[in-house]
Amino acid sequence: MKKSLKRLAIDTATKYIYLALLIDDKEVASIYQVGDNDHSVTILPLLEKLLDDAKITLKDIDEIIIGIGPGSYTGVRIGVTVGKMIGYLNNISVFQVSSLALIASSSKKNKILSLIDARRNNAFMAYFNQQKNTLEYIKNDTLENIESFQQNINEKYEIVEYGKPNIKKIIKSNLLVKVEDIHKLTPNYLRITEAERNLEK
Amino acid sequence: MNVLGVETSCDETSVSVVRDGNVVLANEVLSQIDIHKAYGGVVPEIASREHIKGITYVFDQAIKNANLNYEDIDLIAVTKGPGLIGSLLIGINAAKVISLNYNIPIIGVHHISGHIYANYIEQGMEFPLLALVVSGGHTELILMKEHFSFIKLGETQDDAVGEAYDKIARVLGLGYPGGPVVDRLAGSGVDNLNFPRPMIQSGDFNFSFSGLKSHVINTHHNMKQRNIAINIDDFCASFQEAVTDVLVEKTIQAKNKFKVKQVIVAGGVAANSGLRKKMKEKITDIPVFFPKMKFCTDNAAMIGAAGYFQYKKYGKADDLYINGYSRLDLE
Repeated sequence: MKKSLKRLAIDTATKYIYLALLIDDKEVASIYQVGDNDHSVTILPLLEKLLDDAKITLKDIDEIIIGIGPGSYTGVRIGVTVGKMIGYLNNISVFQVSSLALIASSSKKNKILSLIDARRNNAFMAYFNQQKNTLEYIKNDTLENIESFQQNINEKYEIVEYGKPNIKKIIKSNLLVKVEDIHKLTPNYLRITEAERNLEK
Repeated sequence: MNVLGVETSCDETSVSVVRDGNVVLANEVLSQIDIHKAYGGVVPEIASREHIKGITYVFDQAIKNANLNYEDIDLIAVTKGPGLIGSLLIGINAAKVISLNYNIPIIGVHHISGHIYANYIEQGMEFPLLALVVSGGHTELILMKEHFSFIKLGETQDDAVGEAYDKIARVLGLGYPGGPVVDRLAGSGVDNLNFPRPMIQSGDFNFSFSGLKSHVINTHHNMKQRNIAINIDDFCASFQEAVTDVLVEKTIQAKNKFKVKQVIVAGGVAANSGLRKKMKEKITDIPVFFPKMKFCTDNAAMIGAAGYFQYKKYGKADDLYINGYSRLDLE
């Protein structure tokens, strides 16, 4: 019998924590729940439960998909730390994906503006086209003023700020990027720190 | 017992393997100090970004240098606080993944208990003992009657010693971190500025360095305004003498009152040569221990050592719900 392919997906870039387990392209278990600035406390217990319910262990995972942001800096680091460690410890294939693409995958619309609030009228945003369940970028992940981003789009679209990712859609898309060196994996912040900006001035 | 130590509370990403609390099989430290120098202090968001960059690499180096596999680890000890919260959470979550992956018990360790146990490594402890904890965030006198029992006798009411060093260094234009350079220049200066020795006879074991710091800064300012030549070395020497006089005197008072068998000094300021010299000169009736230089600044070996004794004392591990704390009491 052919060994089944077990994949784990993790994203913590928003106030929602997302964990999913796929076996041979089928989502067999998932968690998508709102947190209270406590992803750091809940992620491992939730992961343990997800694995226990499926009667497998972390060592059984063959591939891992990690949402690398953009989004909450502290939040995204939780998921990337956990995913990076799982990938490193078990020497398995690691794929990174935009957290905005994960949000967009929850929508069924043709044109999707995926948005994570970044305060002061700014947001992390990306614009997607979706045909026959296939998701692709029109505009890449960016951090800018919400209105000016929207003004450049002259068609009907849906704004999506949260939603449980459709991970089957993601693994069929071209949105996954293979991580060649696990040690070099970092979140996609889209912005240098305030201290670095001030130093440049 | 092989303990995997993890420390990410500030600007050092560190992983160690320590056997039975005192044999260091590996102690990898990835320091960010050169990155933070440009900002005159540690920038929390930059620190977090650096920790996540280096985290798996540091683990890999530690386990390889210890010549072990993760299956050989009996306990994971990770710093849970106090420290920068974003930095702490990276070490904590990385440690939790190892715990789940290999089914190894995990415990959260207080950063200061680590600094204290840096003295146990390659040296040992005899109780009761008195610990002077001096760093950028702490100035405390702690009485230990047995392993992993901490009674706080007193602490700073305002600035920590290391913090005062950094601020003085900034005013004198000596850069960051201030401790090592002030210590070095003090060695060639003279204590001639008559700085106060705050709270030296207060009768308790508390400290205060904010007033001394202001006094030093004001003196510098006044001399500059009146065009009086400033000898930086003398400034450093006068400040360092004032600080170490207070630290040593309070330590002696506590040592005599509680009839301890040993004095240990812990934390980053334990690397200060002026403090080392004065402690050893003034306390001759019982042994005074300082950690090896490499265990003075933040490192995971000390967390591995402390974690071993914490686990031995309480006999149980924590669970995967361990959280990080920016502020945390030792007792």
